[in-house]
Amino acid sequence: MKISYNWLKEFVDHNLPVRELAAELTMVGLAVDAVEMVGNDYILEIDLTSNRPDCLSHLGVAREVSAITGCSLKMPVIDLKEKGMPTTDITSVEITAPEFCPRYTARVIKGVRIGPSPAWLVARLESMGQRSVNNVADITNYVMLEMGQPLHAFDLHHLKGERIVVRRASPGERITTLDGEERELTEAMLVIADAERPVALGGIKGGEDSGITGSTVDVLLEAAYFTPLQIRQTSKALALSTEASYRFERGTDPELVSLASDRAAALIAGIAGGEVSKCLVDVYPHRKQLRDARKPINFRRARYTELTGLEVALPEAERILRALGFEIEAEVAGDLLSAKAPTWRIDISIEEDLIEEVARIAGYEHVATTLPGSAGAGNYLDGESGRRAARRTLAAVGYNEAISFSFVNVETDAALSDAEDEDRLLLFNPIDETQSHMRTTLLGGLLQALERNFNHGNRNVRLFEIGKCFRKSDGERPLELERLALVATGARNESDWLAANARLDFYDVKGAIDALIDNLNLPAANYAATEKSGYLHPGRAAVISIGGRDVGLIGQVHPRIATQYKFKQPVFIAELDFGDILTAQKIEPRYQPLPKFPTVVRDLALLIDTGVTFAAIESEIAALSIAELVNVMLFDIYTGKELPDGKHSIALSLRYRSLDRTLTDEEINAAHGRIVKRLIETFGAELR
Amino acid sequence: MPTQGSRIYPEVLGQLLEMMNERLKQLREDFDREIGLVTTETEATELRDRWVGRKSGLLTAEMKTLGKLTPEDRRLAGQGLNDLKTYVEAGIERLQLGFAAGREAEQLVRERIDVTLPGRRIATGHLHPITLLREKIEDIFVSMGYTIEDGPEIETDFYNFDALNIPSNHPARSWQDTFYLGDHLALRSQTSTVQIHAMQRRQPPLRVLAPGRVFRRDTPDATHNPMFYQVEGLLVDRGITLGDLKGTIQEFVHRMFGPETQTRFRPSYFPFVEPGAEIDYSCFKCNGTGCRVCKGSGWIEMGGSGMVHPNVLRTAGIDPEVFSGFAFGLGLDRLCALMYGLDDIRLLYENDVRFLEQFT
Ligand SMILES: [Zn+2]
Repeated sequence: MKISYNWLKEFVDHNLPVRELAAELTMVGLAVDAVEMVGNDYILEIDLTSNRPDCLSHLGVAREVSAITGCSLKMPVIDLKEKGMPTTDITSVEITAPEFCPRYTARVIKGVRIGPSPAWLVARLESMGQRSVNNVADITNYVMLEMGQPLHAFDLHHLKGERIVVRRASPGERITTLDGEERELTEAMLVIADAERPVALGGIKGGEDSGITGSTVDVLLEAAYFTPLQIRQTSKALALSTEASYRFERGTDPELVSLASDRAAALIAGIAGGEVSKCLVDVYPHRKQLRDARKPINFRRARYTELTGLEVALPEAERILRALGFEIEAEVAGDLLSAKAPTWRIDISIEEDLIEEVARIAGYEHVATTLPGSAGAGNYLDGESGRRAARRTLAAVGYNEAISFSFVNVETDAALSDAEDEDRLLLFNPIDETQSHMRTTLLGGLLQALERNFNHGNRNVRLFEIGKCFRKSDGERPLELERLALVATGARNESDWLAANARLDFYDVKGAIDALIDNLNLPAANYAATEKSGYLHPGRAAVISIGGRDVGLIGQVHPRIATQYKFKQPVFIAELDFGDILTAQKIEPRYQPLPKFPTVVRDLALLIDTGVTFAAIESEIAALSIAELVNVMLFDIYTGKELPDGKHSIALSLRYRSLDRTLTDEEINAAHGRIVKRLIETFGAELR
Repeated sequence: MPTQGSRIYPEVLGQLLEMMNERLKQLREDFDREIGLVTTETEATELRDRWVGRKSGLLTAEMKTLGKLTPEDRRLAGQGLNDLKTYVEAGIERLQLGFAAGREAEQLVRERIDVTLPGRRIATGHLHPITLLREKIEDIFVSMGYTIEDGPEIETDFYNFDALNIPSNHPARSWQDTFYLGDHLALRSQTSTVQIHAMQRRQPPLRVLAPGRVFRRDTPDATHNPMFYQVEGLLVDRGITLGDLKGTIQEFVHRMFGPETQTRFRPSYFPFVEPGAEIDYSCFKCNGTGCRVCKGSGWIEMGGSGMVHPNVLRTAGIDPEVFSGFAFGLGLDRLCALMYGLDDIRLLYENDVRFLEQFT
């Protein structure tokens, strides 16, 4: 809302310089965002909260200044002379939709001369960023900016039957508004009609062929109160927002209607000439109920202190409330007063509202800072230490943390997840149809991020994300499952200039997951080849399990999917049920005595079928139950043209040790020999 | 008593000793000449073998001749010979040390590397700036006795709006503003929903901090995303005042931005608090003198706050005449943008590695 410094002064004779005024208003809750010098005036840009429509006018802001400064509020002087015929002899008003329009007033000004506005009026409107139209239209705008009451002027003779009917639109009824747009209406919308047709969208915009023109002589002036909800809904439905609808949908003052009409009528007669009809037609069917609905609210001095930590003397509280327009009803025992909110303060209904009124004028800056007493130790979210360990482990092994939107493209998500279509959650009102479903996997977001990185020329990308995925459930709410996913592609280590061409592969991602699981204190993961995933390369995919429980998948993106994304280099992904991992049984570290006797290492190179897995070799060796065998390490896999087809050479390092003695050569040779024999027999391997 | 040899006349003995001294003098001169001629380490070894070698060394042989002397002369001659031996050995050792030092110097030159070649580090990843901020804020509040809580991202009308005192015709509820998944199911539009869950689960005293994702139907632009992160704080106890809110926020801001940071509370409106306040803190960039970050005002808006609305307390089963509390909320994305000077917050969720790698 724009407020003119000079105009404001007409209603409250304060002596605050503009900067101080801006600071004071800001500190009572009317945030002044900017002050601009326009001619010999200053325009204050006030960012009003939605609960204060009463300040959408100079009078409203002046009331705040009056409460701040103690300078009294001066209402505009209205010099109205009703010299014409009684209004009821000229026109009539009927309201058939009081639920949308509780009050409607009309009066007629006959014999006006439509023309340009006087310079002062043009200047005022322009300083508010409004264009001058003609004297009558300008006056209605002026009064709205001054008092906050939107008004509308009809050409009396453009109204069929020269009368007003305030009713709901009939279904499919149409109106062409002042902006030339034809609009189709519904029964949920209010129109101002004449005897035959709608002539205005009540409280929003006038009709095209009923307004003031250069040849208008007799003006029917409308001032009314419209209920906020209908205005907001109609305005949204028709995508039509105006200065009037902006005020009505936030809430105007029903009691201000006649006063604003008087003010405008007096100005019209003074500036455009003409005679104002006698006695306003004022249809206000439920005035008494509306008035009685305003109940006095108690203000307890003790409660004020309890909530704010401030002290206030009751007379000062009373002064503040009176200045803001409250009616003080009673004072009991010096510690309680009872106040009725003014009709323009739609935001006041309980004691805490009164407490805020007094406190904000007294000044929040006077509230002394205190700290609540100690409450003992705080706590992190369950699993947070695991989440932090996971993030730091993955960062340490080269992965950047990504955060993606929770809603995704349904095709992308479906291609990367095992969720059934009926498990998916659909947004009723997505911003974008390509982001219409809640994600069931994190992989969609990560592959999209990868796509963007490729487009920006980033070829070496390692990302991880931890976040929730969503599935329908039979419960009150859908399932929210915490997951963790990785994507990796490109150089194994960009900074290794001796191996700059080394590309990362499946085993790099597997290593990252092993590091993660190790740092979460969980037993080592098991990896079992799988061909079942539709989005992973069937020869390069594995199910990850921990303690016999499946917790995720790892693999290379299926070439078919990679083609869809136009990926030109292999991309590796993994996704884990992170919620399950965080709650899995952890290993309790126990001390193992350090070996007292030496370890002996024997290497072994085998020519073996490529189809024999490392896991199979390990389990054959394990089946021999050789107590002295400490571990088996793979140190080379060699594939070369000189080797027979379908064979490769595997080099293993076997470590032997005994807990209670130094092993002899004979003992080691015997154990090693058994292993070699077993591998040769089982797999048809050959020693190299 | 002599141990070996035969008796010899004293005058002959005197001559022998004199000859011996003459001989030692000659040997020392010989050695000095020979050592001067040595140029390689091999020649040095040969020199050593020739002079003091255990079997065929010149001085070793010379030692053997001492047996012919009387004990008194043997002692004198032996001492002279030993002195010479020490002299020879020291000379050779000096020579050899010199050669060793040269050899080491050569090796060191040979092994020289270019220390300016790039280090072969494992390229470490980076945590998302939102995570970095969130963890820092969590740490501060946990140390102040708060419990971090989480709530569902998909919420019912009741938690998202009704329980927060947001009237049924409030624009925030509209399909323009909130994402719906059903008539009464929406993506939460504020983490204030966690307040309600927390108050329903536990009776006061309560100290809760709820960081998390929230959703509003904003089309993405430089200052908006349809998803962002909020942190909501709640404290309910007996006798809690607006002063406690101010003190708590001030304490947080001091720990977050430094003890010179000021806070300012001004009246504002949020349906779930009354009285309500907007929190500003003095600009961390210019310390309140006015700059681009704070648009010249010296203050930066941190978020909304206030005393928990009695309707909210009552809905959660807490008697507002017995307990009072405060709540505050702040947007992490905005904070992130301000702290790191981001000019386009869409970058936060595009996951460009060139962006992510800027934060630690
Ligand atoms: Zn600044």
